[in-house]
Amino acid sequence: MRLLIVEDDAPLASGLRRILEAEGHAVDVTGRGEDAVSAAASERFDLVILDIGLPQMDGFEVLRRFRAAASSRSAPMQVLVLTARDAVEDRVHGLDLGADDYMVKPFAMPELTARVRALLRRSQAHGGPRIVHGPLALDTVARRAFLRNEPLELAAREWAVLEVLLAKVEKIVSKEAIIQAVAGWGDDLSPNAIEVYVSRLRSKLEPAGIRIRTVRGFGYMLEEFKE
Amino acid sequence: MARSLRAHLLRLLLPPIAALLAVGAVVAYYPSMEPATEAYDQALVDIGIALGAHVRVSETEGSAGYRFELPTAVEQVLRTDRYDTIYYRVLSPGGRDIAGESDLPPPGGTGPGPYDATFKGQKVHVVSVSSPCGPATCTVLVAETTVKRSRLMREIMLSSLLPQMLLAVATLVIVWFGVKRGLGPLESLSEEIKGRSPRDLRPIDAGAAPEETRPLLAALNGLLEQVAEASRNQQRFLANAAHQLRTPLAGLQAHTELALAQPLSEAVRAQLDHVHQATIRTARLANQLLALARAEPGARGDPAHVNLRSVVEAEADAWVHQALARDVDLGFELEGAPVEGDAFLLREALANLVHNAIEYSSRGGRVTVRTGARNGHAFAEVEDDGPGIPLTERNRVLERFYRMPGTTGTGSGLGLAIVREIAAGHGAGIELGEGPGAKGCRVAITFPRA
Repeated sequence: MRLLIVEDDAPLASGLRRILEAEGHAVDVTGRGEDAVSAAASERFDLVILDIGLPQMDGFEVLRRFRAAASSRSAPMQVLVLTARDAVEDRVHGLDLGADDYMVKPFAMPELTARVRALLRRSQAHGGPRIVHGPLALDTVARRAFLRNEPLELAAREWAVLEVLLAKVEKIVSKEAIIQAVAGWGDDLSPNAIEVYVSRLRSKLEPAGIRIRTVRGFGYMLEEFKE
Repeated sequence: MARSLRAHLLRLLLPPIAALLAVGAVVAYYPSMEPATEAYDQALVDIGIALGAHVRVSETEGSAGYRFELPTAVEQVLRTDRYDTIYYRVLSPGGRDIAGESDLPPPGGTGPGPYDATFKGQKVHVVSVSSPCGPATCTVLVAETTVKRSRLMREIMLSSLLPQMLLAVATLVIVWFGVKRGLGPLESLSEEIKGRSPRDLRPIDAGAAPEETRPLLAALNGLLEQVAEASRNQQRFLANAAHQLRTPLAGLQAHTELALAQPLSEAVRAQLDHVHQATIRTARLANQLLALARAEPGARGDPAHVNLRSVVEAEADAWVHQALARDVDLGFELEGAPVEGDAFLLREALANLVHNAIEYSSRGGRVTVRTGARNGHAFAEVEDDGPGIPLTERNRVLERFYRMPGTTGTGSGLGLAIVREIAAGHGAGIELGEGPGAKGCRVAITFPRA
């Protein structure tokens, strides 16, 4: 995957570059917002790691220009915003401007790489009709699921719940969010019903090593697949 | 108010009002006294004339002889008065006594008018009347005690003083309540200032305030503006300090983790591991110090409606990952908990509670975050099943940098101090207790009624 790091602190930028290169990505680095805007205009990046506290043109402005130019682009470019400021408004502002994820410095590298993986997966899911999660593959056009290349029977609502969780691997999803996403058929869904669907999904997916974790009193999280 | 404006105003007003009252009394008294006493004098003169008519002259031996013939009935009529006793003395042209009280004092050298004298130990008012007796003139002195006159004097005095006194009392009452009423806008102004949150540094609206308070308001608003400016500077400084501290720490952490990912000798790996742990602790300490500085009154943001439930929901993902890294089961029991406050600080307080609970739980431990309302008070609490905090330590753990003896975690001892500071800034109370089954620790922040 092609990544762009926009960070004016050289040690941090070089550290990020080496970590992401070790993950197998092609990484470009710039310390200036203006350069990032022109680079994104002429080349295609799958993901940009963008620091908000840049000299001159700040990260918010860079993000705004990315998104202004994005309408003409075919596949969406994921943006992970980094900030050292702790104002809540910054985070809301960043997400409003179209950032896909948000991290406050300093952060642990495993967390960063996990988020980068999740964002890249999401961009692929957006791009194609096929969602892959370890041994699980979903053909969203034919609405057919495969586990270890074997067809997997999923009821319509099980499919819907799984889709919601797959869109946010390693992120917790509240029961309310699942109900909202699934209850598009005009009938009421109770939180208990969601528990039933998740339990059925578990019995089908866990033998293949795919785990759905329960977050007590909140919702669920589809864990990252580990061999 | 050490010096009451009202009392001061009354003190200023009382002497001139008293003086005006006195002058007014004198000015009103004399002009009304004169016509009244003249009428009494005239009555005495009439008596004198009537008495004079009873003097008889007998021409014998060349010299005149005078007699006074007054029937008792007439004398009674003449001398009858409801209040006063009337005396008379009739003198011949030669100055001899003809009739009446011979020791009634004659007029002195003061002229022909009425005069005051003392007779039989009483104050009397005397008129002298000239009465024709034969070719010559006799003198009739008519005296009257002063009961009537004193009464009249008192009545005139009262009737002229009373309205003036009423006027004076009315003036004082009007001043008393007028000042209160006049100071009304000032009072509502002070109510407005009193009712303000210490974080509300907006200028006070001078629109409805009276003209006289404008300079005071202007000075106050100037001061507020200065405080607000200082607060903005502090917030700007903190934002910059946060940036300047965190970015190099992020770089340090990145490179340490990179280095640790390489093949290393045991000794170097152990050392790097220390560097890594120290980096993480420093980062956390930096965050906590910044949070503590942000919790200072001057640096806080404007209060807003914040629902603690939403704060927790927004952070749940990050916290769950922290908990998973330590194999702790983090759960939630969330109900709506609306409060007024600074969303960043509230998040920071809750994050510290959750971090502590995860840090001090053993592997496989259970931590629960709860929000909601009890008896109309919004609350947030975090409960764990770790070792708990003994009763004797509960007060001390809220102090800055205090760490319980035997604590193993990597904390700085600032976490609960931050929570306390932030809670205090929101008028909220902290309660430390035990978790379910008298095990572990439960820290609750309870907010004032909205």
